Amino acid sequence: MTRREWLARGAGAVLAAGAAAGGAWLLYDPEGDAGLPAPSAGGVRLKNYFAGVDLPASSPRISVATGVEDRIGQMVRAAVGGLAGDRGIRRFVSAGDVVLIKPNVGFDRPPAVGATAHPEVVRAVIRLCREAGARMVVVADNPIESPEACFARSGIGPVAREEGARVVLPSEARFERVVLREDAPDAAAGEALGRWPIFHRPLAEATRVIGIAPVKDHNLASSSQNMKNWYGLLGGRRNQFHQAIHHVVSDLALMMSPTLVIADGTRVMMRNGPTGGRPSDTKPGGEMGRPVVVASVDQVACDAWCYEHMLGRDPAQLAHLEMARGKIARRIAAGEDRLAESDWRVYERQGLIGTTNL
Amino acid sequence: MAQTPPHGHGRVTHFRDTWRNLQRITTIRVIVQTIFFTLFVAFVLLTTFSHLDRFPALRHWVSKLLEIDPLVSISTAITTHTLYRGLAWSLLLLLPTLFLGRFFCDWICPYGSLHHFTGWVFNRRKAKQRIESNSYRRMYAVKYCILAGMLVAAIFGVLQIGLLDPICLLYRSFTGAVLPAANLPFEGVMGDYRLHAGAWLIGLVLFGLVAMNLVIPRFFCRTLCPLGALLGVLSRWSWWRIHRDPEKCNGCNRCRLACEGACDPQGRLRKSECFVCFNCIEECPEGALSFRLMPPKSGEVAAPDVGRRGVLFAGVTGLLSFPFVRFSGRSTRDFSARVIRPPGATEELEFLERCIKCDQCIRVCPTNVLQPATFEAGLEGLWTPVLNFRMGHCQLNCTACGQVCPTGAIQRLTVDRKQGRGAFAEQGPIRLGTAHFDTGRCLPYSKNIPCVVCEEVCPTSPKAIYAERRMRPLRDGTKVAVAATENTATLTERPEPGRTVGRPARFDIHQYRGDNTVRYFASVRHADGVVETHRIADNDADTILIEGRFARPPEPGTPVTLEIELKLPRVDTDRCIGCGLCERECPVVGDRRAVYVTAEGETRSAEYPQRDRNRSVRLL
Repeated sequence: MTRREWLARGAGAVLAAGAAAGGAWLLYDPEGDAGLPAPSAGGVRLKNYFAGVDLPASSPRISVATGVEDRIGQMVRAAVGGLAGDRGIRRFVSAGDVVLIKPNVGFDRPPAVGATAHPEVVRAVIRLCREAGARMVVVADNPIESPEACFARSGIGPVAREEGARVVLPSEARFERVVLREDAPDAAAGEALGRWPIFHRPLAEATRVIGIAPVKDHNLASSSQNMKNWYGLLGGRRNQFHQAIHHVVSDLALMMSPTLVIADGTRVMMRNGPTGGRPSDTKPGGEMGRPVVVASVDQVACDAWCYEHMLGRDPAQLAHLEMARGKIARRIAAGEDRLAESDWRVYERQGLIGTTNL
Repeated sequence: MAQTPPHGHGRVTHFRDTWRNLQRITTIRVIVQTIFFTLFVAFVLLTTFSHLDRFPALRHWVSKLLEIDPLVSISTAITTHTLYRGLAWSLLLLLPTLFLGRFFCDWICPYGSLHHFTGWVFNRRKAKQRIESNSYRRMYAVKYCILAGMLVAAIFGVLQIGLLDPICLLYRSFTGAVLPAANLPFEGVMGDYRLHAGAWLIGLVLFGLVAMNLVIPRFFCRTLCPLGALLGVLSRWSWWRIHRDPEKCNGCNRCRLACEGACDPQGRLRKSECFVCFNCIEECPEGALSFRLMPPKSGEVAAPDVGRRGVLFAGVTGLLSFPFVRFSGRSTRDFSARVIRPPGATEELEFLERCIKCDQCIRVCPTNVLQPATFEAGLEGLWTPVLNFRMGHCQLNCTACGQVCPTGAIQRLTVDRKQGRGAFAEQGPIRLGTAHFDTGRCLPYSKNIPCVVCEEVCPTSPKAIYAERRMRPLRDGTKVAVAATENTATLTERPEPGRTVGRPARFDIHQYRGDNTVRYFASVRHADGVVETHRIADNDADTILIEGRFARPPEPGTPVTLEIELKLPRVDTDRCIGCGLCERECPVVGDRRAVYVTAEGETRSAEYPQRDRNRSVRLL
């Protein structure tokens, strides 16, 4: 062995030993828990998608358009127009916005049974956003059944494609833990959600969010409308939420501050909800007797209005409405910048409910 | 000008040489193999709910390679005495084989191409070893025994060709193992990841058989493949074959350098082993080999190298396999109630006569509920589709599995037929089974926790799962009234033994207010035994406010019991179709959900009351 060879081999061994020791030193975990995820830390907060909307105090908070089955597009336009006066959708969506439309696509059902948002309502909203100059329109939901099948059968997938909107389907990587409250939820105060995985990818990109919810009967929550629609963004083991459904639904209203919600009363599921299954379970406009589309900036009041007028039930009995109003009021008192949610009767007295007949 | 060497192996430098090279039959063969392999992959990738939904005509194509497989058509013709729909396409392959020999194996078969490619890439050997490894071995006759055994078993209705038929095996391997693995780096491209029961076994079989190429080239094709065996038997009559001119041949053995079939082109050609790959012609330096029409009989061994005794023995094995698997009882009396078959599936014994375990139904299922069975359906039912409601559920409006089934094990259904609507209203819906409640696990039944997610998701109209309101006393819910008005009562705990006055009650504010899911009631038992019950409207720390008024406000000392009223789910067997959405969504996950579906009540066995496997629930 030459001296040179001896030195080279020796240096190689010393380097390898050094690398092993260095690696061990870097990775050393004396407590044994360094590699475990922190149990309940991290997570993102949802944006306030209403922020920056310039809505005069005199503008209606709820705008109702009644019409007929084949003029759904005009009804949507009239309902949104009723909220915003001559500026129409431009009051809510500006050029360059990325708009997330969140229809209820929960089940693998054809439009006629009213379990999912009417595709023509979705089409009209996409068009409005495009007219306002939205840079991109995204349609997304995390259905209970297979997403491909639900988007196809409900007609919402094909409509979105026709109108050039992007459909984003859920997949594990598109979920993110969202923080609703830092502290553990206080069940006695009606709180349920602390940090929860949410279909966040489309929300992260969006600057505006518009919810489109068919008005439906619900076996447990009594109704499924705009507030319950956000349930479709939840991931994880969301089937546990039925144990405290009103806690959760009111938390959803607290979590999501949308730009606009649209209640789709074109065919209202009066019974056998939320899945329905037969056209005979539905009624156009419910108790109103004619197809209705309601646009609103106050999802709680809108749900109460539809609950009473379309489902013909007493909002005082719907626990999550009052819970949501209380929760949102407490957040506003604590300094959060969002629109106060109110009782629709208050709006009625103030003349803030607009109606259009087509 | 560059001279092209007569038989390959030259450096290609000139356009004309490239063109000549392309005209080489082996180059054409590689192109054809690539096309068919690509086609196969495309078919599997297109076998999804969304593709079939957008392009319904695809359903005629995605299982085409299974339909041209003569082993599938012949064996199902043996078991069912019929030729199902697209299986007539197998003539497209069977007839040319009678003239050209076993060309399928190295021109069309995607599994064969996979083995060929693997050997080409990984099995590099010295020339002498290659010649050695491509020599015929007696072992290669095993496939004829496998074929004979499987066909004899088929006579008795035990269809097992799917275990080893290369097309079934490859379709199944792609669905269960290859595509889920390939999807890993492309999350979101092919949709979310899917799970397949026993994927490890499916993957291991594929990997093991492909890896065998490193030991013996084309091990599967030469030794095990029952389709190859069938085509081998057919090719004994073929008009064309590789012919060696003994005048030109100098016995150099180079023809065996790349012989895929190990069919002895250097001597008397074993017709039934030859894959017609043309490598020997390409390699022969003397030009002694050619593909000839009706060459002299003396140059060939026409029949497979398997004696009558071997075939007889295999036949006896196949014969015995029938009682062995059938009388294990898993497909008859000892049938597992968790073996729930897809909508449109034929009755179990008919099903087992048809299912070739290709798992196309499992591939196309949009919810991942269809899973390859391991042993729950018996050894016979290995890799046949069963529904696992922990993975997914059967969607009401979906009939995709029957659309792609090549053999009719799952019949094609319309949505109207599946749901029993329109013209099928008389027959009613297809039922896969019936839901049951495990009341010891169900939250409202056993734990006073409101839930009924099962009712929420139940997709039939009216819902098969409905809720019944039931009242139950709360734990430690019996209190004692100390003061009352016409609609309030102030309560204490029951006095401890030896005392006359109990501690004051300490409720949470609004604890008993309830909502539309849960309501609380107070039952007052008067001294004369009369009981009156009222809904509690609200409460503070020790006083309840009732809705309405007491008929008689409770006297001090009167016991007042607090009760909870919950919605308890129940099943209407007339409505339940066994879709399993309730089971999938049940929040009591554990090893068994609080609501679960079993095969009882399935419609497919309703017409077979004579069979042990009949799973009807109701007579009327």
